[in-house]
Amino acid sequence: MRDDFPLPDTDWEPAREFWAGAARHELLIPRCDTCAAYCWYPRPTCRQCKGESFTWTPMSGRATLFSWTVVRHAFLKQFADEVPYATGLAALDEDPSVRLATRLVDCDLSALTFEQPLEVAYRDLAFPGIERTVTAPFFRPR
Amino acid sequence: MTSDWGFAHDLDDISGQVAIAGVGEADHTKASGRTAAEIAGQAVERALADAGLEPGDVDGIMHVPMLADRFDAAAFRDHFGTSHEMWESDRGGGMVWAGTAPYEAAQALRDGKATCIVNAFAVAWATQRGSMVGGPGQSHAQELAKQNLEVPFGWFPQPVYFATIARRHMHQYGTTQEQLGAVAVTLRRHANLTPAAVMRDRPLSLEQYLASPTIVDPFRKEDCCLISDGGGAYVMTSADRARDLRSQPIDVAGVGLGSSRTGTYWAQQGAFCSTPQAFAAPGGFAMAGISPADVDVLACYDPFTIHSIMQVEDMGFCQKGDGGPFAEAGSLAFDSGVLPYNTHGGLLSHAYVLGIAHVVEVVRQLRGECGDRQVPDAEIGVYGGYTGPQASTLVLRKG
Repeated sequence: MRDDFPLPDTDWEPAREFWAGAARHELLIPRCDTCAAYCWYPRPTCRQCKGESFTWTPMSGRATLFSWTVVRHAFLKQFADEVPYATGLAALDEDPSVRLATRLVDCDLSALTFEQPLEVAYRDLAFPGIERTVTAPFFRPR
Repeated sequence: MTSDWGFAHDLDDISGQVAIAGVGEADHTKASGRTAAEIAGQAVERALADAGLEPGDVDGIMHVPMLADRFDAAAFRDHFGTSHEMWESDRGGGMVWAGTAPYEAAQALRDGKATCIVNAFAVAWATQRGSMVGGPGQSHAQELAKQNLEVPFGWFPQPVYFATIARRHMHQYGTTQEQLGAVAVTLRRHANLTPAAVMRDRPLSLEQYLASPTIVDPFRKEDCCLISDGGGAYVMTSADRARDLRSQPIDVAGVGLGSSRTGTYWAQQGAFCSTPQAFAAPGGFAMAGISPADVDVLACYDPFTIHSIMQVEDMGFCQKGDGGPFAEAGSLAFDSGVLPYNTHGGLLSHAYVLGIAHVVEVVRQLRGECGDRQVPDAEIGVYGGYTGPQASTLVLRKG
């Protein structure tokens, strides 16, 4: 495992544009140049049409809360300072079948609701003992 | 929800070609200090004794594709001190493969590659736990899309994914905390009647379940599988040969296999609250010529309570979404007369040996060897295997 696990490897080619976009506070998702379908997670060929060319496309950052959980036990020691935290899936307005795994912030953990409107909120991922930080798209209620 | 999120595999009809002639379990324990190979060896010894076979009679061995310390032909020879040639396959072991190994075995028997095949599986994850990243989540942490797009957000490991799925199931179908609890309580009762179960001496009431702290909403620790050392094995041969061996043979009547198109990326799975059993079970039942109503005893791979509810639905034992009320009504109890389910206690309360002990239990139920938890007159039993990306349905019939 990388020394800076559980930070993402922002040089991992399939998602490099995603993390580069997040650093600029842009939410980018690959869109098939042939059939215009959003393809998430990134993959070499389009799930819909087998197209092989994609354009990383800016999203509005608006989403709805598909599902989530409040994590009270640190399954990874690096999250010991984070618990309890809410993590779940944000379904993007542009295509709700695209679900981003994310953290839910600026909210009362007990007041989240299904299909709740969300908006992206950029936060730095930082873990104890790791100097590097990475800007990442979290979501908050809107 | 449309059904294009997964598919059924097209399998040849092997009904009646293979029988399970012997079963064995290793000791199921907390951290034991043993290696997985030692544990698997013990399970194989017991399965061979059950079948009345000697190590030299075994000319085929099946093991799991993805774990390092698999019980392969070299490990078999090392354990038993033999030097004989063996056919081997890495399409066996636990999880989904505990259900499909007989399908691979049928082909090997047909092709004359082997005449007596052992499928074995063991883990020493209680012993190894401290050195694993996220426990059984380790293989997920190493998968790059998950490592880069899920783990950094704390959407990891399995308890977190499946809590998210359970919450959506509760929202979509009205499933309640008490219904999840009914699964945990029923399986614990079964374990209390199973001498080999890790939780044999630990009763659990619904009140105790509800009072237990939430670790990942809505799961308490009682919703989650154990972490234990243990293993199991079963011996396969032709139905004819099995008739001449020591134990009552159990015939393989049907096998089904289903896959999700999104693999281990549950976040992107179209039918978020379903399992690939929706694709596996119809094929397995059709090969066996049965319907869900014919099943006398069922054992499903049950890492979390929600998996029992989803698979019972997806296999057609109740309507989609009705698994919670079905469990709450007591239908899963061994003495319910409805759908005796995980009668040994399952992954939640028997042992976390990834499904191999489920097959052992179904065989023993069909033989009538289960003592205080015996299902009366059980003739048809089913194992529902699961890995997430795939599910299998293995239909067994008393020979």
